[in-house]
Amino acid sequence: MTVKCLKGGRLIDPYNGIDEKKDLYFRNGKIVSDSEGKSTSDIENIDVQGKIIFPGLVDLRCHLNNDSVSPGNNILAASTEGSAGGYTTLLAMPDLGSIADNPATIEFIKDKISRNSKIRILLSGSLTKGSKGEVLAPLGSLKDAGVVAFTDCPLTAQNNQIFTKGSEYASMFNLPVIDLPRDLSLSRRGNAHNGPQSLKMGLGGYPRIAEELFVQRAISVSKIANTRIHLTSISSSSSVEMIRDAKLKGSLITADVTPHHLSLCEKSIKDFNPNFKTSPPLREESDRLKLVQGLLDGTIDCIATAHEPYPEHEKNVEFDLAPTGVIGLETALSVCYQTLNPQNGFSWLKLISAMSLNPSNILNIDQGRLNIGSDADIVIFDPDKNWIYSTNERSSNATNSSFEYKKFKGKIVTTFFKGSEVYCT
Amino acid sequence: MEKSNWCRKSLLGIEELTNKEINQVLDLSKVFKNELSDVEKRSDHLKGKRIVNLFMEPSTRTRIAFEVAAKSLHADVISIAEQSSSLTKGETLRDTAMNIQALGADAIVLRHSSPGSPLFLSRIVDVPIINAGDGAHEHPSQALLDLYTLQEKLGSVKGKKITILGDILFSRVARSNFWALSKMGAEVTFAGPSTLVPKRFESMGAKVSHNLKESLSDADAVILLRIQHERQSSSHFPSLAEYTKIFGLNKNRSKWLKEGALILHPGPINRGVEIDSELADSSNSAILDQVSNGIAVRMAILYLCTNSTTS
Repeated sequence: MTVKCLKGGRLIDPYNGIDEKKDLYFRNGKIVSDSEGKSTSDIENIDVQGKIIFPGLVDLRCHLNNDSVSPGNNILAASTEGSAGGYTTLLAMPDLGSIADNPATIEFIKDKISRNSKIRILLSGSLTKGSKGEVLAPLGSLKDAGVVAFTDCPLTAQNNQIFTKGSEYASMFNLPVIDLPRDLSLSRRGNAHNGPQSLKMGLGGYPRIAEELFVQRAISVSKIANTRIHLTSISSSSSVEMIRDAKLKGSLITADVTPHHLSLCEKSIKDFNPNFKTSPPLREESDRLKLVQGLLDGTIDCIATAHEPYPEHEKNVEFDLAPTGVIGLETALSVCYQTLNPQNGFSWLKLISAMSLNPSNILNIDQGRLNIGSDADIVIFDPDKNWIYSTNERSSNATNSSFEYKKFKGKIVTTFFKGSEVYCT
Repeated sequence: MEKSNWCRKSLLGIEELTNKEINQVLDLSKVFKNELSDVEKRSDHLKGKRIVNLFMEPSTRTRIAFEVAAKSLHADVISIAEQSSSLTKGETLRDTAMNIQALGADAIVLRHSSPGSPLFLSRIVDVPIINAGDGAHEHPSQALLDLYTLQEKLGSVKGKKITILGDILFSRVARSNFWALSKMGAEVTFAGPSTLVPKRFESMGAKVSHNLKESLSDADAVILLRIQHERQSSSHFPSLAEYTKIFGLNKNRSKWLKEGALILHPGPINRGVEIDSELADSSNSAILDQVSNGIAVRMAILYLCTNSTTS
């Protein structure tokens, strides 16, 4: 079997602390040692000078939003957009058309994934039945069926007893609980952040406090239940502070932020464009800056896309009637690179940790590293390539991106999954 | 009438208007008000035009005022209410509007509970969209008629202190009035309970007060708003009775007002809640002037938008 060699690129491998010009060899879907690579004559050299090479990205929050008639379509779309964005592993939230609260649904979707996906799509099981927050889901059976996390995202149990007991019960299976912190009693209308922009527009209904109270809940529950709770899509500056304090005191809490919360603020909704209606909502510039700071100082562990596709006719309606959520797999890395690059404290090691190694560690899977023997999930990124993103270029019918027609510098040019090229510009 | 140099096809809100545009509407309103008072002078500027009132929320005053305004200009008027339209059969606003356009409408007057819905429609259809109230966002024709009424009574509003009292948070009238009045140089105070008038409104440039006496004492005019108890959960204030007790404008409290201070109300009035019956009918009240000015102002809006230089 031919050895492939990515020659002359800058290699970023946070697990091994590598950021240097170095060749990378792989064969038969696995990464091989330099000596093994060099010792064969059957070698295909790929010139990657001036490019950046890193492990395939891992997304902790991806919604497939399957329609129940043909669930394969959205799986294919997510894997296509994911591979174009450098993702080789996605964690699907349990809203799979039907809620992933039983082993049969998991088996059914796993089968669809194996037939339709070019990359690894992992499943999470719901923490409560139907994600309704009333009765615990059969977590042990779900784990046996292959889920790697428990979550009711995009919902969360409003009943504190259920959430606490669910987290305590989950600790037995050594899988993380992913929580989108949202107190619904304070955010039922939930169209936008309660800020100066939304106030003028007559919108609002999702204030920071709706998130912050549940961030505190997760921190406290994590402590008493001794469970790894991962907070997803943090949006408020005070949440960052609470998580920082909790970590200083040894909490098991971890957190992620979306590319859109790192790069946009509530002013984006000024034209009532539903493609900026996200869950949680975009907040103020002061929040955005704290989120960037939190990511760079390690308070926030990773970046997750909260990718959520909707057909145009469902999303492009009156703002308050539009569903929340945007797509983001394909643009995530370019958005983050563009947003963070000029910031103090940015480094490729930090960015790739946040998008690959750290999410793998949270899920306790061995992706996000370029070890000898690891799956050859590898991305080639051209930091100088200019491009304009457009959803029209994808086969997917979802167009709900916040970055339509945005100009970027820096693009993924090739993605390998288990050594096979699954994306190439 | 000579061709206007109004360049705006749709009237979506006051925030985006220039002072010049606001004055243009008010000047033309004056012309139409004169025409209305004299049957001989009445004109048929919109003869042959088809105006569609698409009202997806209950409305008496605004819908009828637009109807009367359009008919006074000899337009054909078709009024559609949500209950009588295909929206009850699940048709979307977008499809309804595209159908209305295909049926030959020259302008759509839209009342809708979704903020931004007129802007949304203006991107989909080519005909002018006139916002007749979109959720808690804007109600431009109301603000223009309020400004017209205030200017008629006070001369200019420049330097004048105007207090808007009541449910500000859920009010499109408060927002549009704030833009209109502050653009014309008035100082606007939002007054009412802290839950309905949060301090956050200072970010718009308004003053915020939770003290009725203080907010009334130096006002040249007070615009009362209806308490929309049906919209809020009971979490925003305990009861209408408590509201009346603390913020209701009654005969006694009207003494806190300066002599000759005007009282306005966009209607519908809840007599005995935000205002005493007696005060609503007093000589300080400009409430009925608002209603009749509303026709002239809406004639001006319909005329300008259907004759804009871009359309």
